[in-house]
Amino acid sequence: MEYVRTKDVPTRKPPMNESSLLGWLKINLFDTLFSSVLTVLVLTAIFFAVKALWIWGVSDGVWVAETRRECFKISLDGACWAGVFAWLDNIFYGRYPRDELWRVNLGGVLLVIWMLPLWLPRVRGKILVGLSVVALYPFLAGYLFSGGEKGIFMQVMIAAAIVGLAANIANAVTGYFNHGSLSNFIIRKIGKSEAHEKQQRNILLAILLFALAVAFIWQMSWTEENVTWTKWGGLFLTFVISGIGIAAALPGGIFLALGRRSKLPVVRVLSTAFIELFRSVPLITVLFMATTMFPLFVPESFQLNKLVQVIIAVCLFYACYLAETVRAGLQAIPKGQYEGAHTIGLGYWGTMGLIIMPQALKHMIPNIVGTFINLLKSTTLVSVIGLFDILNILRAISKDTPWIGLHKEPLVFGAILFFIICFAMSKYSRHLEAKLATGHRN
Amino acid sequence: MKLTTLLTSAAIIAAVMFAGATSASAESTLEIVKKRGHLRCQVGPASPGFYFLDSKGDWQGIDVSVCHAVAAAIFGDPTKLEIQSVSSQARFTSLANGDSDMLSRTATWTMSRDTQLGIDFLTPNFYDGQGFTVRKDSGITNALELKGAKVCVTTGTTTESNLADFSRTHDLNISAVTFEDYNVRDETYLQGGCDAVTADKSALAGNLAAFPVPGDHLILPDTLSKEPLAPAVRHGDNQWADIVRWTEFAMVNAEELGITSANVDDLRANSKNPSIRRVLGVEGNIHEGIGLDKDWAYNIIKLVGNYGEVYEKYIGNGEKAIGIPRAGSANALWTKGGLMYSPPMR
Repeated sequence: MEYVRTKDVPTRKPPMNESSLLGWLKINLFDTLFSSVLTVLVLTAIFFAVKALWIWGVSDGVWVAETRRECFKISLDGACWAGVFAWLDNIFYGRYPRDELWRVNLGGVLLVIWMLPLWLPRVRGKILVGLSVVALYPFLAGYLFSGGEKGIFMQVMIAAAIVGLAANIANAVTGYFNHGSLSNFIIRKIGKSEAHEKQQRNILLAILLFALAVAFIWQMSWTEENVTWTKWGGLFLTFVISGIGIAAALPGGIFLALGRRSKLPVVRVLSTAFIELFRSVPLITVLFMATTMFPLFVPESFQLNKLVQVIIAVCLFYACYLAETVRAGLQAIPKGQYEGAHTIGLGYWGTMGLIIMPQALKHMIPNIVGTFINLLKSTTLVSVIGLFDILNILRAISKDTPWIGLHKEPLVFGAILFFIICFAMSKYSRHLEAKLATGHRN
Repeated sequence: MKLTTLLTSAAIIAAVMFAGATSASAESTLEIVKKRGHLRCQVGPASPGFYFLDSKGDWQGIDVSVCHAVAAAIFGDPTKLEIQSVSSQARFTSLANGDSDMLSRTATWTMSRDTQLGIDFLTPNFYDGQGFTVRKDSGITNALELKGAKVCVTTGTTTESNLADFSRTHDLNISAVTFEDYNVRDETYLQGGCDAVTADKSALAGNLAAFPVPGDHLILPDTLSKEPLAPAVRHGDNQWADIVRWTEFAMVNAEELGITSANVDDLRANSKNPSIRRVLGVEGNIHEGIGLDKDWAYNIIKLVGNYGEVYEKYIGNGEKAIGIPRAGSANALWTKGGLMYSPPMR
């Protein structure tokens, strides 16, 4: 066998305009005269905007001062960031007692620890992890944040939360280091992996009960000072409202969507009426109704505090929005999927839980996260009814005597905070989409 | 048959619940407050000098001091208090539905509010009036020279309608530029968007102090309106109204008698002046009718201060104050030509 050529043809470089920066510029920015002009105009506009911002915020900005008057003495036109820094504790924690701030921080850290296994590879039972966050964490956090007397129900739930957290961490560790789920690991360690399934379950149950008892006794010694909700505020309060809102609105929305598509007329009509009623009213109206009208309708002995009223209002409102999002996802599932589920003998909940919902929710991730972001930003409306969420705190800076009139800098700071949070959420949703994408790719 | 039983039982349950609700509301406000263990005092969404949050997260201000004083009079402890910050849309509803025990938040006492909203205004703790701020270099020295001027004003307050009235009365053809937030209003004025700013004079003084160069601006001497700012309580509980009203009077009376938070202990032990002895509960029984302890006024003065002290701290020349001089204004004591006057406490 003989080749016509003995040597490879040397590979040619790609054309200039595909590889070099200059070529890229030529193609993308200076293609025609018109686009060249546009490019120059836009670049000039960006340059002046950034320059003005830079001069105002950074080069003329004042970072250390005692009062706004001092800021003016240093720089008349610059930003006075010193006021924002003096108020940082207020911005993050509101009026929470300064000696007790560790409780808020610990609550945040525990939440991160609890959620972390969701991101770790090889960890088993992620659905259980997610459910335990929603069902148990609020009790632990609720006690940490508000303290005071705990009723017997609260004590049991706190104990359950402690056990849940411990089990979750242990499960994450065993899973991450390739030992399977926690229950398997325990059974194997005590050499009962050959035993009957029932016996295994009983052993696990005994361990669980023992852990619960220990946790119960441990938590009885906790005596944290009571911090009423009126002292909650700032970013912390925003997170509390939107966190509970997000955790409750999604399941609520799923059930409402199922209700609206139900074959039972009463369920269908009630769900539809509920959804349409809440969607037709602005959130601010719902909030006003919840806080000023609601107390008039109920007996005086049954008074919910304003924070709870607001949280319920936010949950109901966004559950209705999510219900429509979820319903849109359900509409997109072809009939064949239902029929397929029926042929393998699944009932209603089986069909929905195992076949339909996972597909529908996956399709709707961008919309659902969009609604979550919307929810987070809309919680700033509670400032109108007098809760000191982050927006209200930021606005209050301009009324504090040393910082009278300082209103631009706090709002810019708030915008940056919100951008970071919302952008992170949106990034995470993109990541989730990519991770869950199985087929349907064109 | 079944339906009628059902209906009857429903009616009975409703009646019982209604009766329960009414009997609960028959309880006097003082009893409710004492049982709850703290006072719920309503302020607004922060206003410099009157009610504002400081960087430690505590409420401060002259109106907040009234709340503290009432708490001190009832409990002997000014911190047994929950400050509620309520928007101005919801302020009177929140008082009427029992959410707040009292309101102390620069609300102007007007006849329609006093007679139509189911609330009662008490003694004004600050007399304000609407005025104008102008640039010094504009050459304007009195409000009648504002012919055809553009004036920045915040919406939804009496300020806006006062301005329209003033313009109409004097045929000035003033055009109002309205804003929701007074910070934006001032920003616009400073950038030359309008010729003058109008608001209550106390607010103007506070905001003026925060301008980059306060010396370039001037508050005109004219006063457009009367703004008596007074605390308010729910209509119908006279004992509760008495408590709040006489708490205010005790602070003014203390100033008149020269009792301050610094010398109150000394005066209680040593003073021979019968007026002072009566106020501080050393002799006489002025506390009996009001339903409080003998020490109620002593606690107010000791723990919060007299009116003058509070004024200087937040409004006058104190470190946290917004710098409105008291001498010669309506807020001076009546002995110095002002309107602060307390009926005798005897």
